[in-house]
Amino acid sequence: MNRAAILWRVASILVAAGFIAAWQLVANLKLVSPVFLPGPDRAWTALVRGFSSGDLASKLIGTLEHMAYGWLAASIAGIALGALIGSSKLMRAYVAPSLEFLRPLPVSAIIPVAIAMLGLTQGMALFVIAFGAIWPIMLATIHGFAAVEPRLYEVARALQMSRMAVIAKIALPSALPDILAGMRLSLTVALILSVVCEILAGLDGLGHWVLLSARAFRSADLFAGVILLGATGYLTSVAMSVVEQRLLAWQAAAR
Amino acid sequence: MSVVARLDEAKAARRGTPLIAFNGTTLRLGGKTIIEQLDLEVRPGEFVCIVGASGCGKTTALRLAAGLYRPSEGAVTFNGEPMTEPRREVAVVFQDYGKALLPWRTAAGNISLALEASRVPSRERNGRIDALLRKVGLPGHADKYPTEMSGGMQQRLQIARCLAQEPTTLLMDEPFGALDAMTRQGLQDEVLSLTQASRTTVIFVTHDLDEAIYLGDRVIGLLPHPGRIGIEIDVNLPRPRDQLATREHPEFLRLRRQLFDFIKATEH
Ligand SMILES: Nc1ncnc2c1ncn2[C@@H]1O[C@H](COP(=O)(O)OP(=O)(O)O)[C@@H](O)[C@H]1O
Ligand SMILES: [Mg+2]
Repeated sequence: MNRAAILWRVASILVAAGFIAAWQLVANLKLVSPVFLPGPDRAWTALVRGFSSGDLASKLIGTLEHMAYGWLAASIAGIALGALIGSSKLMRAYVAPSLEFLRPLPVSAIIPVAIAMLGLTQGMALFVIAFGAIWPIMLATIHGFAAVEPRLYEVARALQMSRMAVIAKIALPSALPDILAGMRLSLTVALILSVVCEILAGLDGLGHWVLLSARAFRSADLFAGVILLGATGYLTSVAMSVVEQRLLAWQAAAR
Repeated sequence: MSVVARLDEAKAARRGTPLIAFNGTTLRLGGKTIIEQLDLEVRPGEFVCIVGASGCGKTTALRLAAGLYRPSEGAVTFNGEPMTEPRREVAVVFQDYGKALLPWRTAAGNISLALEASRVPSRERNGRIDALLRKVGLPGHADKYPTEMSGGMQQRLQIARCLAQEPTTLLMDEPFGALDAMTRQGLQDEVLSLTQASRTTVIFVTHDLDEAIYLGDRVIGLLPHPGRIGIEIDVNLPRPRDQLATREHPEFLRLRRQLFDFIKATEH
């Protein structure tokens, strides 16, 4: 890490610390009623208590499971469909208009449909999360596959590579930067939809915890849940960039 | 038997059986005739250069020889068989090395691609890769990515990947067109030593007339719109060629003059 990077890191920590201090100040001065806004101290205590009593940990695991299953399903289906559509000009021409119609559809609009068909079940949650999270992945994969250097396909032909080898060794690695970027975007979508589904269907998870805390006016517990959600989003995104950096080391060499 | 037929026969015997043959080959793309009635025979071990103005069909002719295009009329044969699909014993060195290499694979990985396609067992690959890198003058660069290499090094790498196919024939499309003069001359000599030793057959496209005469046993000049053969000269310069002596040889200068006049006449 160079000097500038260290300075940026220090600055961002200072901003975060300043933010927490301001929050504590607002809470101490009771600018907002403590019923609605606990200070960071109370939120932290609630967080520790939640974990030690064991309840919060199981809620966190619930949300992580919803998020992971939905995101993985979206990734597998999104990459497969994206590869299929992106690698054929004809498919792109036929399918693109339908995609343009479906893509801007808010996922919240299909939740009632999913509930009507699947009920308030884990299956419904999996479907909704996967449906919402598939778009960034699929569209990025289509773009990645469509943008493969045509010369590389000719190299593959000259080497008489098999169709499977061309996909595995040429198309996929070439599209990988796009695919990973799409998967990173979908991570956030999957987290949001996990919470929404938990709230709507009463499934075990942080969404449910947050809802119950709010109904009972336990604002410290509510904030503990929100902090955990934020941390989940942040840490999964960091994990994703570590994976990206490792898989795309060759791009760093280009710079 | 007529005198003409007997002369033709004598000529064929002198040339030997061709490895690559264009027989009345015509290629149309998008309603436009790009190559028309091309007749060309390349003998095993021969080094044939193709020159011609930009856009006259040199690349297209090479792609026909590679099996990347199928002729609209006539045929292209390799060892007497129609060349309808690329084959591994015919390697293509593309002009744009930057696009023909896999940026996500190291130099070793790029060579490995050809070895994997030829089903070389993985335990043999490293040894073969090292030998190939040494052969093209890139020892110690195995772990570099193409983007970390100069243009000359990237083109060497592409040549190494082609040699990994163990080809009997190399098709090269203006391989040194984008390189500076010094790098270019170095690579010319390397290609000569690599191909002469193994008696590899080469079709080499270039727009540099000096390069064509320096390298070739024969130089074919194409005429544009549509592409067809306009001139064919045998280069009877002693081998091995030498950057100074060959280029000062009176025969070199005579052929250079002849080709230059031909190209000049096609350019209007
Ligand atoms: N796929 C194609 N479709 C239509 N025209 C083409 C295609 N490829 C090349 N041409 C045309 O064929 C002619 C010869 O092209 P090319 O073989 O690339 O020339 P050269 O390599 O001698 O510069 C050019 O006029 C070019 O515009
Ligand atoms: Mg060309």
